[in-house]
Order: sequence, then structure tokens, then C-alpha cells
Amino acid sequence: MANDVAIDKYGGTFLAGLWRENPVFRLLLGMCPTLAVTAAVKPALTMGLSVIFVLLCSNIVVSLMRKALKPHLRILMFTLTISTFVTIADLFLKAFAPEMSATLGPYVPLIIVNCIIICRAEACASKNTLMVSILDAVGMGIGFTLALCVLASVREILSTGCILEIQILPDSFVPWAAMRMPVGAFLSLGLLLGLANAVSKKGRT
Amino acid sequence: MLRHIRHFIEQSWLLIVCSFIFGLLLAAANAAWMPRIQQNKIDKLDRLMSGLLGGAEEFDLAVTQLEVSLPKDRTAKSDIYKALSADGKCLGWAFIAEGSGFADKIELVIAVNASFEELAGFDVLASNETPGFGDQIKLDYYRNQFRNAPAMKLELSKTGDDKKIDSEIVAITGATVSSQAVVDILNNYIEQVKGQLLTKGLIGDGE
Repeated sequence: MANDVAIDKYGGTFLAGLWRENPVFRLLLGMCPTLAVTAAVKPALTMGLSVIFVLLCSNIVVSLMRKALKPHLRILMFTLTISTFVTIADLFLKAFAPEMSATLGPYVPLIIVNCIIICRAEACASKNTLMVSILDAVGMGIGFTLALCVLASVREILSTGCILEIQILPDSFVPWAAMRMPVGAFLSLGLLLGLANAVSKKGRT
Repeated sequence: MLRHIRHFIEQSWLLIVCSFIFGLLLAAANAAWMPRIQQNKIDKLDRLMSGLLGGAEEFDLAVTQLEVSLPKDRTAKSDIYKALSADGKCLGWAFIAEGSGFADKIELVIAVNASFEELAGFDVLASNETPGFGDQIKLDYYRNQFRNAPAMKLELSKTGDDKKIDSEIVAITGATVSSQAVVDILNNYIEQVKGQLLTKGLIGDGE
């Protein structure tokens, strides 16, 4: 009985980030990278993986030190922790994926101010056990990555006719250049949010 | 006094310990990956210089750490590379230049011809200009205006023919600051590097 409750709790924490509390489609967090790096799937995936790394590491550290945290210093501690792991992720990309690092430009360092990460540190990791914090980070990170990849897929297909540089639309398709631009990001995100709301409403009725 | 110190330590010990550990972590990551990052930068510089000065077989380091004055009483040091053809003929010069952009520092690779009278062009080594606006300084339509332009003081104009090659550079719509930053960097470096190479007898009569 106790085991079932634990599994339910852990499973629920992990699954929440994928849909019920998806940071992009349900909580509307992290809009800056969502709009900025989703012109193609590769940068979106790289950004998603970077966020998973930072979220996981910061949630682990915050959860481990939660009992020693002074309430008035907690935001400072969160920022210190997050900025350390973001800098490591940034250095790693510069060393091993320099072209991708150049493509993502300032958006990797900007993960420091990504509200998903500070929100999870405040709402989850600083109040829960290590296991719950890890599952929350992985669930939220995967949810964010999936949302970015879905948005990027729509934009890349419509703006180039390809996905991951593999052509999937016929040669007769005229690429919609606007989908690569900010206007394409806003339009796609708006339509996908509408779709997510419709699906969510249908699920409730 | 002791009470104050004790209170300070009680309140901030975690912050101090974490800062120390995170500092060590960052230092370790930096030490481990910095050589590779530097090598990536050198590879990119080689690639950009080869793209700007086609036909060059090798790039000789002609002048190391040439000092260039920047605005606000700052200085920067730049290595000057001499592009050589297979038969050892000088095809031009290339160097890294930097200056303030709209968002952050812009680093360019500038190439000029052998007599330092004509620009071979520029390419962007590093920049964090606004995506969709300022980062258009990387695009060919803007960069092509500099190819074969005279290596003299360039002027930025908001309107004009961007296909015409002269000392007038047409700004990118919506990114005047970034466009001006590139022109300023070129103006600053071309004048100073040219002057110092002339003094050293590497160009002009002493070539």
C-alpha cells in the first residue's frame, strides 16, 4: 500500500512535466528560448538537453542543501547554483559543439534567468526529497525539450520543407520563409497553445 | 564584535562554502576545456581567413600582439597574419578586430589586400547581436558591401545602393547600432594597423 502511494507520487511528479504542468504549453514558462531557438530542430534539441542538465544539477544541489537554506538568502543560492551549471554547459558546448554554440548565441548563458529552473528550485527542490527533485527535473526538462522540438518541427518543416535536414515535403512545396522569423515563432506557438488547450479541455469533459 | 562575526558566519556559511565549491568546479571545467575552445577558435580563424583571402596556402604570423587603441581609453592586442600563396607571394593581411556592439563585444576577422589599399572583406568570429536584427552582420548581403571596398574611412548611411562598392556602407534595417559598430571597428583597426605596418616597413615602399 505504502509502495503504491510512493510509486503514484513519483510517477505523478515525473509525468506532471510532460503534460499536466508542461512548462511551455501549460505554465507558459521559458518563453524566451521557446521563441528564439525553435527555427530548427537541432538547436531546439540542444537547448532542451542543456536545460535538462542545468535543471537536474540545480534541483539536486538545492534539494541537498534545502535544510541549511536561510529563507532570505535562498534566491541568491539558487542563482549561484544555476549560474554555475549554466556556465559549465556553455563551456561544454563551446568545446565540443562550437557551431551549435555559435548558433544558440546568448541563449545558453540566458538559461541562468530561465524561470523554469528557478521556479522548480523554489517550488519543488527546496521543499522535497532528492528523489522527488530528480524526477521533477527530468520530467520538466523532457517536457520542455519535447515542447521545443514540436514547435521547431512545425517551423522547420514549413520554412524549409525538411526536418533535421531530411526533405519530407515535395519539391513543389514553396517554403514559408516567415516561419523562420519571429512572426513564425509567435504564430506557431499561439496555434500550438490553442491546440494544447483544446486537447486539455476535451480530456476534462 | 565576536557576536557580529558569529552572526555573519551563521547566516552566510552556506553561501561561502558553495561559492568556494562552485568556483573550484568552474575552474576545473575551464582548465579542462579551455585548450579545446582555443583550438576551435584557431580553426575557425583559419577557416574564415581562408574564405576571405582565397588562394592563400598559409598564414604567417607577421606581427604579434600589435597594440590598437579602442574607444574609452582602452587598448587591445591583435596578431597580424600575412597570407601567402603557394609560391610565397603575399596575397594580403588578416587580423582579429574587436569593438562594442549593441549587445556585447563583436569580434571580427578583417582581411585586406597585399598593399593594404583594398578590403578583402570581413567575417564575424564572435558576436551576440540580436538574433534576426543585429546578427545580420554575418549575412553575405551586408558583408559583400565591404569586399573590395577601399581600405579607408568608411561611412554608414541608412539608404543607398548596397550593391555599389565604395566607402559608403548601407546599414541593416532595424540594426543601425550593429551596422555602425562594424563600420567603427573597421575604421579604427584599418587606420591603426595600416599605420603601424607602414612604420615597420611591412607595406608600402619597405614591402
